[in-house]
Amino acid sequence: MSTKKKVVDKTPKEATLMTTFLKSISASSSWPDKDEFLDVVYWMRQIMGLAFGLIWGIFPLNGILAILLFFVINSLIVYLYYNTFQQVDEEEFGGVGEILKEGLMTSFATFLVSWIIMFSAIHHS
Amino acid sequence: MYADTLLILFISVATAVFGEGLTWLLVYRTEKYKKLKAEVEKQSKKLEKQKEMVVGDTTERSHKKKLERQEERLKTNNRDLSMVKMKSMFATGFAFTALLSMFNSIFDGRTVAKLPFVPISWLRSISHRNLMGEDYTDCSFIFLYILCTMSIRQNIQKLLGFAPTRAASKQGSGFFGTPSQSSK
Repeated sequence: MSTKKKVVDKTPKEATLMTTFLKSISASSSWPDKDEFLDVVYWMRQIMGLAFGLIWGIFPLNGILAILLFFVINSLIVYLYYNTFQQVDEEEFGGVGEILKEGLMTSFATFLVSWIIMFSAIHHS
Repeated sequence: MYADTLLILFISVATAVFGEGLTWLLVYRTEKYKKLKAEVEKQSKKLEKQKEMVVGDTTERSHKKKLERQEERLKTNNRDLSMVKMKSMFATGFAFTALLSMFNSIFDGRTVAKLPFVPISWLRSISHRNLMGEDYTDCSFIFLYILCTMSIRQNIQKLLGFAPTRAASKQGSGFFGTPSQSSK
């Protein structure tokens, strides 16, 4: 005689924008949904790309060193965020590289666009 | 120059929204696409979990065979998904080629922005396209347009939830491949 066990749904509740945001700004939050955390890293990167582009354009920083500086600071902030602030285990996400490269190229494109526009507007209009 | 820069930014946003809108009309809203996408996502996640479970115990033959069968099924579904997307790819391809040639002729020979860096030599053919002079910090329309599109289209896709999930991108993807960073 077989009895059917009641299947308990272990999937996390649908994350709303607000709960994800609150989790992202509180230290050592738990991230059962890996995609949710990677999305936080993605959008964080986009905001950084935009902000750094505007700052680099205003000062202005230019040349290859400014581009390298963007990559270094961007990656460092993401590293400190997941390693020190959120303290997540990077192996759960497929290693350091997976988190560090999440949204990096899109962020770089956003950075270049805002940098070029700000630089052209302030210093060459 | 500043007006041109902002105009290109606007053009890029408009074309990205138009492209996604067209794709939604032709692909995303169809039952076939929704069904296939859900199937691919489900299979990708399942496969990922199973792969994690069998790490270290790869000697079991039946497990291996099961995994191979699932991978094959996933590949077939991914191929089907790409075929469904093809229709819109052709439509947007034609529309964008026409639009791009129109904008190219409008901005022909005009410096639309000043670059804060000197592009490396193989990039200059794009960044200095149809521009006079030897000042490589002059930026052509096409360079700024490509950069804007790279940034804006990806973000719009992600915002609207049209980009493939990470699990699906990781497990390989159909004919044309999808960027691994796009998701949700």
